[in-house]
Amino acid sequence: MDPAMLVERAAAGTPAPIWFVQLFKVLGFTLHAVPMNLWYAGLPVALWLHLRGGEHGRRFGGRLLRQMPVIVAVGVNLGIVPLLFMQLAYYKVFYPATILMAWSWLAIIALLIPAYYGVYAYAWGCKNDEKEMPFWRVAAGWCAAVFFLAIGFLFVNGFSLMDHVDRWPELWRDHSMAGAALGTALNLGDATLWPRWLLMLGLALQTTAAWLLFDAEWLTGNSVGEDYRRWAWGFAKKLYTVGLLWFAAAGSWYVFGSWSAELRDSMFSWPLMGWPLVALTVLPALSPGLPWLLILFGGRTRAIAALVALGQFGVLGVNAVSRQVVQNLNLKPYWDVYSQPVDVQWGPLAMFLVVLVIGLGVVGWMIAQIRKCDFAPPSNVP
Amino acid sequence: MHYPWWYVPQLTAPMLIAVIAVVHVLVSHYAVGGGLFLAVEVGHAYRTRDREYLAYLRGHAAFFVLLTVVFGAITGVGIWWIIGLSSPLATEVLIRTFVFGWATEWVSFFVELLAAFIFLYYWGRLPEKKHLAIGWIYAVAAWISLVLITGITAFMLNPGRWAIDPAARNFWTALFNPQFVPQTVVRTGGALLLSSLYVYLHASIFARDGRIRNVIASRSARPALLGAILITAGGLAWYAFLPDSAKATLASSAVMNVFAGVLIASTLVVFAMLYLGPYRNPGWLSPGFAGLLFLFGIAAFGAGEFVREAIRKPFVIYNVVLSNQVLPEQVPQLRAGGYLNDGVWTRAFVAEHYSDVMADGRIDNKRLLDLPYKDRLVLGKVLFLHHCNDCHAAKRGYSAVGLLLQGRPREQTRETIERLDDNYSMPPWCGTSEEAELLTDYLMTINQPRPAGIHPLMKSGGESVDEYGEME
Ligand code: HEC
Repeated sequence: MDPAMLVERAAAGTPAPIWFVQLFKVLGFTLHAVPMNLWYAGLPVALWLHLRGGEHGRRFGGRLLRQMPVIVAVGVNLGIVPLLFMQLAYYKVFYPATILMAWSWLAIIALLIPAYYGVYAYAWGCKNDEKEMPFWRVAAGWCAAVFFLAIGFLFVNGFSLMDHVDRWPELWRDHSMAGAALGTALNLGDATLWPRWLLMLGLALQTTAAWLLFDAEWLTGNSVGEDYRRWAWGFAKKLYTVGLLWFAAAGSWYVFGSWSAELRDSMFSWPLMGWPLVALTVLPALSPGLPWLLILFGGRTRAIAALVALGQFGVLGVNAVSRQVVQNLNLKPYWDVYSQPVDVQWGPLAMFLVVLVIGLGVVGWMIAQIRKCDFAPPSNVP
Repeated sequence: MHYPWWYVPQLTAPMLIAVIAVVHVLVSHYAVGGGLFLAVEVGHAYRTRDREYLAYLRGHAAFFVLLTVVFGAITGVGIWWIIGLSSPLATEVLIRTFVFGWATEWVSFFVELLAAFIFLYYWGRLPEKKHLAIGWIYAVAAWISLVLITGITAFMLNPGRWAIDPAARNFWTALFNPQFVPQTVVRTGGALLLSSLYVYLHASIFARDGRIRNVIASRSARPALLGAILITAGGLAWYAFLPDSAKATLASSAVMNVFAGVLIASTLVVFAMLYLGPYRNPGWLSPGFAGLLFLFGIAAFGAGEFVREAIRKPFVIYNVVLSNQVLPEQVPQLRAGGYLNDGVWTRAFVAEHYSDVMADGRIDNKRLLDLPYKDRLVLGKVLFLHHCNDCHAAKRGYSAVGLLLQGRPREQTRETIERLDDNYSMPPWCGTSEEAELLTDYLMTINQPRPAGIHPLMKSGGESVDEYGEME
């Protein structure tokens, strides 16, 4: 069966310029990736440190775990942005892919609720430096970490299936009844699935390391001593290095072991449609080198910690841009995002931007208020 | 039908929407009204220097965050998940129409979240004025979320001019639809009322001090009664601005009768209990009383939400998207060219398995009837799943067609199909007459015999008697 038969091309006008959709999709994903990385890799790392770490490790583990309820809330919230704009321009491929794996896709919600409560159970039971925690809270925390890894796996399934329309006929044939999807498929046979999942884990380890430094230098106030900071830099160095190697391994697997020949040709080509695509392959691959070098050789200062954090944000950003280009190239034979008609709702678009600016102003004001207080995360929630 | 159809055994996929939506609204209304409760009451406690009340409110705020930020927010995302899976065409249309409404709502959700955390985590560490201001920021942002989302759900029930006048198709006519104000009033009232019920339940269990319980009982009775008034006023306006078909369904469908009855009865009980209990006799606030009040409140809300979901049939978006995932303006073309032909996935299915009936990439409807019986059954089932399964299970389960047919003979079954919208809760038949034949073939295999044991003389006279006999 020709997979192209399964995608309807006729489209109504998209209410935003496509570049605007892409911008918010990529920007939203990058912003979402920061907290997502922290629960993805940061949560198990923090749980481990809190359980088995030395004095400082335990302290960092406790801090990150107490921050985790806010991190999860913000991360889920920021995930809405890319998902909304993705549905606006990629609906023709997004809905079929998720319907084919409907039960697993829905399982994301079913796993997220207990995972999130598990995070609270741990965070609200974990007083500053106490080691002893009731077993059920520890178990809840570990369950949450496992659930988040599983959720990540389901997301990779969904998005790799959306990118690979050629996988649909087989999955549909195997998971349907009289043409109706049973929703039981998973995209397990896709060569890109595992490397994509592992790639994100590598990035997530790096982000956790960057967060450790940022937290130690900027958010701890006077609550920690010089000793802790020294430990933080040392541990971040190790963690980032592991993340970097992991990323390099998974990235090579992804690019050289799972991309189709055409995709690799495109992504290693010099200008295509005026874009030096090779830059979007090489840059994401090399980008983690910058924060890494900063951690190794930048010197132990607050400014360097901020630069590392900013650099890591950049790493996530170029990765997101590159992912977007790869997605568009993969989809092009079936659904060319740029060819859909556009019928912009300028008024509502302006309303959104104005409200966004006001909202950011209000958020800024609120953060300014708590900055005047002790910035350490509270440990005495009722 | 540009999207694949998701077959959910017994329940049908759209029923999953109803389940998640009902669970979600029970928390989301509290997320709005509870924010207002906390802002007003913390302000009151600060002014009156009531330390014990403040201590209670702090505990309540933790409970509030735990319930709304986790369960409330994630089930909200869950609705988004499930509508995309069960009703992709309608979701596509809603997103295209309201994307900037949703994006704006996201901003207020973001503000809401941060405000909630800061309000709770910095309790006692922020100056009172600032703390209170953050409580109010939460309350306002949460209400803005309510207004925007209500605009979208109201649109689904009655898009008004937007649906029928192409020149009126813009964001603002969509948002300010005939149902917008009534539903906003009802939901605002619902938020006030439901959050008082949560407060009572929580206080009856966790407020140890009798004085605090009394303060809570009497102070929260007023917003609850105000909510009751808003619900009643908004509810009347809601009814007035319903499309006629929805009014008729409400009046004629037995299930809707029952749900509307539950809704009205439990609302009345809640009003009476509120007045007699917390308002007149604050001392009554025991866990048993509060629990009962809460249960009646949940019954009213659940029934209300179910009615809202169900009376739109056969539309998901009234006059815009039919629940079998086609647009009303496509119907004539489907009847002429075939339902299977027009559906992207159904056509691919036929092309893959029955290439004999294809001509130039399209299905030749005439050839369908030449297929062997067993293949006709398969295609009949395809038609059933893609045309009927959004509202009916097959043999058993939710509104199962096999049971509804009750042994109806073939001719009549066939006629039911071709005159499907004689029952205005159903879409018009959207296929060719050949397709109706195939569907009839299939339906006759799931058609359950008329229950045995009914007095033989009660069988209606006329020619169908023998046919009923044959079925058995
Ligand atoms: C939009 C939802 C919807 C769709 C789609 C739908 N129905 Fe119905 N149908 C209903 C409702 C509601 C009832 C009334 C059920 C009741 O009273 O319990 C009903 C009743 C019936 C009945 C029993 C009453 C009667 O008129 O004979 C049959 C038979 C039936 N449907 C068959 C079908 C078939 C066959 C299809 C597909 C071609 C279909 N329906 C599609 C909503 C739908």
